[in-house]
Amino acid sequence: MPAVQETIDAVREIDVDKYKYGFSTDIESDMAPKGLNEDIIRFISAKKDEPEWMLEWRLEAYQRWLTMDEPNWARVNYPKIDFQDIYYYAAPKNFEDGPKSLDEVDPELLKTYEKLGIPLREQEVLAGVRRMDEPSPMDEDGADNVYASGRVAVDAVFDSVSVVTTFKAELAKSGVIFCPISEAIREHPELVKKYLASVVPVSDNYYATLNSAVFTDGSFVYVPEGVRCPMELSTYFRINEQNTGQFERTLIIAEKGSYVSYLEGCTAPQRDENQLHAAVVELVAMEDAEIKYSTVQNWYPGDETGKGGIYNFVTKRGNCQGDNSKISWTQVETGSAITWKYPSCILRGDNSRGEFYSIAVSNGAQQVDSGTKMLHLGKNTSSRIISKGISAGKSQNTYRGQVSAHRKASNARNFTQCDSLLIGDQCGAHTVPYIEAKNSSAQFEHEATTSKISDDQLFYCLARGIPEEEAIALIVNGFVKEVIQELPMEFAVEAQKLIGISLEGSVG
Amino acid sequence: MNVALKHTAAEETLLAMGNSAAAIAKLQAIGLPTRRVEAWHYTDLRNLLKTVPAAASAVDAGKVEASFNTYKRLTHATRLPFMNGSYIPALADETPIGVLVSYDEAKSSDPGADDDAIGLINSIAGSNGLSLNIKDGTKFDKPIGLAQLVDDNVYCGTNHSVAIGKDAKISIIERHISADGIAGHANAITNLTVGENSEVLWAIVQEHGDSATHLGQLNITLAQNAKLTVLALNCGGKLVRQEINVDSNGEGAHLEILGVNLVGDGSHIDVTTRLSHNVPHTTANETFRNVVTGNGKGVFQGQIKVAQPAQKTDAQMACNTLLLSDDADFSAKPELEIFADDVICAHGATVTDIDEDHLFYLRARGIPETDARALLVKAFVDEIFDDLEDETFKDALVGLINEWLDNNG
Repeated sequence: MPAVQETIDAVREIDVDKYKYGFSTDIESDMAPKGLNEDIIRFISAKKDEPEWMLEWRLEAYQRWLTMDEPNWARVNYPKIDFQDIYYYAAPKNFEDGPKSLDEVDPELLKTYEKLGIPLREQEVLAGVRRMDEPSPMDEDGADNVYASGRVAVDAVFDSVSVVTTFKAELAKSGVIFCPISEAIREHPELVKKYLASVVPVSDNYYATLNSAVFTDGSFVYVPEGVRCPMELSTYFRINEQNTGQFERTLIIAEKGSYVSYLEGCTAPQRDENQLHAAVVELVAMEDAEIKYSTVQNWYPGDETGKGGIYNFVTKRGNCQGDNSKISWTQVETGSAITWKYPSCILRGDNSRGEFYSIAVSNGAQQVDSGTKMLHLGKNTSSRIISKGISAGKSQNTYRGQVSAHRKASNARNFTQCDSLLIGDQCGAHTVPYIEAKNSSAQFEHEATTSKISDDQLFYCLARGIPEEEAIALIVNGFVKEVIQELPMEFAVEAQKLIGISLEGSVG
Repeated sequence: MNVALKHTAAEETLLAMGNSAAAIAKLQAIGLPTRRVEAWHYTDLRNLLKTVPAAASAVDAGKVEASFNTYKRLTHATRLPFMNGSYIPALADETPIGVLVSYDEAKSSDPGADDDAIGLINSIAGSNGLSLNIKDGTKFDKPIGLAQLVDDNVYCGTNHSVAIGKDAKISIIERHISADGIAGHANAITNLTVGENSEVLWAIVQEHGDSATHLGQLNITLAQNAKLTVLALNCGGKLVRQEINVDSNGEGAHLEILGVNLVGDGSHIDVTTRLSHNVPHTTANETFRNVVTGNGKGVFQGQIKVAQPAQKTDAQMACNTLLLSDDADFSAKPELEIFADDVICAHGATVTDIDEDHLFYLRARGIPETDARALLVKAFVDEIFDDLEDETFKDALVGLINEWLDNNG
């Protein structure tokens, strides 16, 4: 259609230079040598000051990993990863001792944050984080002068070590534990032992096993019984050191009747070699508990041939263990050269509910293979999947999802909608749902559509004097609205911006 | 991919039957597919196919007629009968002018792609087949019936090629029958080409007994403005896989696939369709209705592939399933694989029990619950064949469905 030819051309133009967050910070790093063997794992474990049981757990995972094969079922193509050519540990050197306030933070690091802008430096959101030349209010007692609303506690992950943990004191008041997982291993071993790998078993899949062996940091959240977490929790992942795979491990436990909303966002600097990211996120929701997990992902997607982008192989899974529990995943995926990610829910408790809202935008040579699994095990469980894929340029965007009802999962209910929008004739959009019902009272509905922006929609807008670029932006925003609505306010703003950047030239 | 040959009983038998060196080499390299092969994700052939019976020996001419007579003819079709994999010209009806029939024994066929286990078995275990040539402009109302009877615990391989010329109008019914208790193995491949502007109805009626294995494959190529309707009714068999692969290679080609799968106790029925839209302006419409009872296992895998040049494709797919028992099992994988941007593609899949509201509506009008249920199930599947022009054939299909529902309801 001639009307969008301009758009197609514009989309094609997007290349490395447009990546707003492509820069890398010069900070001295404390690194383990390249490669992976038992010594490296011992090194990581020693660096983290871990107890003996943790080291053994890692080594066991490593032995398992050696016997496993890389999965190849996803619709993604990439050169074989040389796992011996990656640094498995890098910590910003200046922070070995763990600074207590932003004053002690390396100005280079803060500059990096500043360039990132959102959400770390967005004042309204991040009350308390000032410009680097101003005194920081982020000391233990600084929590008093934050704005009353829109507060976000940030566990900033710079490469592999959490350098700043804010709002810790206030969270502690309500009994919420929010700390780096390495700290949790030292200080709350009983909780970690009980829940670590309870949702994603060590040998679940190739990347999860690798992660179990070499994970360096991540967040740990424990919300005690009956507590509604007083603020949104957020972590900010950013891969910085060249050639460093980042292996994050996040564990969130919501006890009976509690509620927590967790936000995760990431951008990464531009570089030449592909970087590997293999994270594991585990959520456990007890009776009547609710966990809301939101992600905005904007890692470097590589140049127009996909060179240099991040490889993102993530295992995210939530266990609705208790009755009436609820887990909701919301994700906005705009970055990475390769995305391999399936946030899932195991609906074990009766009346439990799982939700998955996703926007996956791909452009250039990006390859996205993402989706979800809803495993209905308990009675009267329900799930809802809304997935919106937008592919442009030469990208491939695949939704791969599984909905299954166990023999005993009576009255399981699922609604799935996955819509794909294609911009340009060089890209691909694919839908691969697996629907498995083993119970007659299960009620599953699945619908998928693929289309482009229709001439009618565009004409409608143009006829009302809206310029074409704006019209496309409007239509795309309408297309993803259902998902954007599910994001916490401050992330919704960023998400819309990210989608704009990702489709720059076509949706402004 | 496959982990290589596991030397199961079925694999060993197939190797021993070895008719083609290429096929033997292939089976030795990859074995029969398991769940790990994506195309066989829900039909683990290596574990489900326990044995492969020996191929049939010469057909006893005296017995043939009696055997055929135990089955009622579906419709007034021109019959081309097969028994245990061999063509029986003595019982064949005279074919109308414009239809050229030739018969080949021990056809050699290519083992096909890596995930084409049906092609591999056909190639390795051997097949006989008809070549049907329908001349340009041939039009007639009377269908041609390929009646394939399995009368013993034997392997029957068939491999037909049907070429339909330009401007033709014809219906062909492929029927597979066997009695309960006959543990035959039918491997039926048909390669069909439909010429320009032709209008064709192809029906697959699979009514095997409760012990039979049926592996069917229909490969279709559509030319410009060809209109093809494929009807598929599966109401029997123990292990059934029916593949329908369509390449729309001519602009303006239209494909309609209407299917009903009735999966009873002890039965595993898998329907896998692959629609490839290779050129612009083609349309496809696919609807399947499934009813699963007892501990039956139903599978639907439907793939719509739109190649990069195939702009303006309009492809719709729907798969609706009624699960009538808690031991029943249904898996669906409706896939879209789209490389062109100016297309309209959609699929929908539902799995449910009978709608309580519908049931209430009928019960409020004094219809007992069992009758109301039966009525709703019947309506759910019968609807598929509503638009069929050939009334006699439609009645025959509805008759088969009703008979099955009465026996399994």
